[in-house]
Amino acid sequence: MKSYLLASLTVLLACCYIGTAFAADSDAGEMEMLVFPEKYKAMAVSNGGTISGVVKFEGDMPEKKALEITKDEKVCGADEKFDESLVVGEGNALKNTIVYLIDISAGKDFDKDAKVEIDQKGCKFTPHIQIVPVGERLTMLNSDKIMHNVHIFSKINKPVNKAQPKARRKMPLKAVQKAEGPVEVKCDVHGWMSAWISYVPHPYFAVTNEKGEFMLEDVPAGEYKLGYWHEACGTNSKAPVVVTVEAGGTITQDFTLKLK
Amino acid sequence: MRIRTVALLLTLFGMFVVLSLIYAQNAPEASEKGKEVYENSCAHCHGTEGRGDGAAAENLLPKPRDFTRGLYKIRSTETGELPTDQDLFDIITEGMPGSSMPGWETALSANDRWEVVAYIKTFYDGFKEAETPPKQINLSGKVPYSEQSVETGKALYTELGCIECHGNIGRGDGTSAPDLTDEWGFQSWPANLTQGWNFRGGADTEDIFKRFIGGLAGSAMPAFEGDSFPGFGLTAEESSRMIELDNKDEMTEVEEEESAQLYEKYDAAVDIALNLAEGTELSAEEKQIYDDAMKVVYEKSWHLANYVKSLMPEKRPEPAIGNNVLRSQYIQGELPEMDNTAWETLEARYFPLVGQIVIEPRQFNPTIDAVNVKSYYNDTEVAFLFMWDDRTHTTDETDDETGKTLEDALAVQFPVKVPQGPTAPKPYFLWGGRLPVYLWHWKASAPEQVTELTAKGINNAEVQEAQGELQVQGTYTDGQYKLWVKRALKTDDKKDLQLDPGVFVPIAFSAWDGANGDVDTKRVMTSWYTFVLEPVPSSKRFIYPPLIALLSVGFLFGLRAFVQRRNSEEA
Repeated sequence: MKSYLLASLTVLLACCYIGTAFAADSDAGEMEMLVFPEKYKAMAVSNGGTISGVVKFEGDMPEKKALEITKDEKVCGADEKFDESLVVGEGNALKNTIVYLIDISAGKDFDKDAKVEIDQKGCKFTPHIQIVPVGERLTMLNSDKIMHNVHIFSKINKPVNKAQPKARRKMPLKAVQKAEGPVEVKCDVHGWMSAWISYVPHPYFAVTNEKGEFMLEDVPAGEYKLGYWHEACGTNSKAPVVVTVEAGGTITQDFTLKLK
Repeated sequence: MRIRTVALLLTLFGMFVVLSLIYAQNAPEASEKGKEVYENSCAHCHGTEGRGDGAAAENLLPKPRDFTRGLYKIRSTETGELPTDQDLFDIITEGMPGSSMPGWETALSANDRWEVVAYIKTFYDGFKEAETPPKQINLSGKVPYSEQSVETGKALYTELGCIECHGNIGRGDGTSAPDLTDEWGFQSWPANLTQGWNFRGGADTEDIFKRFIGGLAGSAMPAFEGDSFPGFGLTAEESSRMIELDNKDEMTEVEEEESAQLYEKYDAAVDIALNLAEGTELSAEEKQIYDDAMKVVYEKSWHLANYVKSLMPEKRPEPAIGNNVLRSQYIQGELPEMDNTAWETLEARYFPLVGQIVIEPRQFNPTIDAVNVKSYYNDTEVAFLFMWDDRTHTTDETDDETGKTLEDALAVQFPVKVPQGPTAPKPYFLWGGRLPVYLWHWKASAPEQVTELTAKGINNAEVQEAQGELQVQGTYTDGQYKLWVKRALKTDDKKDLQLDPGVFVPIAFSAWDGANGDVDTKRVMTSWYTFVLEPVPSSKRFIYPPLIALLSVGFLFGLRAFVQRRNSEEA
């Protein structure tokens, strides 16, 4: 009887173990994604706090990788273009890092006047990282007056691959309803063009500038998980930094990232 | 102790039930039959989990579809929508020309095919979650084919940027073509629009229309949906005026006002279209604006589909066998040079190419469809014009894997000695064996030169010591190679083929597309076909037949006279 018990226990434990292995597997793909709260309530925030900081890169100064312009040289090749997946500035400042609050459930509303646009200029997407509020339209501008196509590799929302012919200057895209990101945006006509967008449910997202700086304002007082995402350096979704924001206070949280 | 054992057992049993339930949730709902058919017929390429990673997938391009993403190229539905069941059924039934996907009409019963449809849908949850049926593309309002429509479509082809990938006249040779990848990062060549028989989802005007409006999900081909069109919401005249104003370096005040007004109308219509797409109810007035805008868009799309249809022959040419063997036409005097219009009066013969899969390295995914050939000869020489489509002009790429130089090339193969009679053995079709072959080897890097080879096997070719007096011209324009070769019918070299009118000569081809990794044995080719210098009808036909006729008549008269005389004698 005892040995029978032991055997069934072993089998069950093995099953559980295999089960967790599967769970870990399915997690692997999501590790590189942003983490969103299940619900978010917009409200007026008064006397909120501020989280600011600088993101730096640790490692050898990466070489700038010039992009190979294979067509439309006149428009695309007017100036030299570089790969933007890793842009490190003076003092190791890391540009294009998303810094955000992972677990905020109530806070300020989106700035309705902010323009949610990506321009296609000189066969380059500007900005390289764009935050798109869920339910808002992302507008694709075509300053180049040449053919582009907007190819958004969504997996949770419906993927988009929409032509933007040369005379199509300003093309708003259908708003999406599910938080997702970051997803890559490409132009197949000019294969080197790449940008990342994130459809987000709340406005506490910042993207670092050339100096690696970010700032999250009007944060209601409380304790939050602070996350980051960088195209080449990955995320800290598994072990985010916990910060405590005081009403009207400012806290500083810097990050140092390495290549993933 | 006993109670504890029972409790433990019960707990374990409980855990077992819970675990079973968790796993059972992932089990497909489709019937066992669908799974069985799928695993027998589909899984080798598409994988048991539907990820497009079956055992055979590695060697295929285009890759077998990964069903777990719900991205289907061939749909009757709008962009972003899933395919209908009928779409999936049709693809399974008819297969996808130009890819490795065969049609299953004869191999699987209709019932089995429907079972497979149900089963592959279980690989993607979106099918189950969808609350409404996918929105289908509206096919009403088809514009009939006419020269006028084709003309309008041609202008749109340029204006909308089709050229970027599909090239000036549709041979899939646009400047973006070499860099295109699909959703999974694999090379994805744009369609050669002059070869409708290779269109994955068929080449009827309706098919073209659907691909254009709905895009090919998971590929680089975008959807040209409603407001992709510049001037959406404007009449055709208004939108051309808008574009015209856009292209002006400077506008007058009046023009600026006009442009602003057009843009206002345009933006309003786009807004309405997006509202509708996002699920907002439209007012009657807005609905009218939307319908009018879509009418213009659909009309333009039909024109474009008609133009694309005009680029291809009505059906795939017949291969050069039977009545279609390559017949070199006799002419007196000089043979026409490459750009002489005399070539246009000849109909080309079509030699379909297939991947070389006998000897490693093999080519499983050919990119060159066929070589088309015309020929003239005179009393002393023969000239050939070889034409084949290749999306890229490659002369000196380096293969990442082998370090070998990749370039486009063509080889024309003949036996050294023409087999005497139809049952006499020909050399092995793969560049000969015991019986040698005589080859013309042309490379894109030296377009004015053909090297004569003698080969006794695919890896056993020798450059002939005596290079004959071949005249050669080679060009590459708009995705097509043209190679013109002229040679004497008779040469002094024993290793050359000697040509006589009326003799059926075996001929075969090999071609290389450098951009597709073709090099050495990795190539596309044909087996043996036949060509003949069409014999000149002899001028003696004006002498002998009348003579024979005359003699016959004379003989008959003689016979009659003889019989008459004998009859009268008897009487």
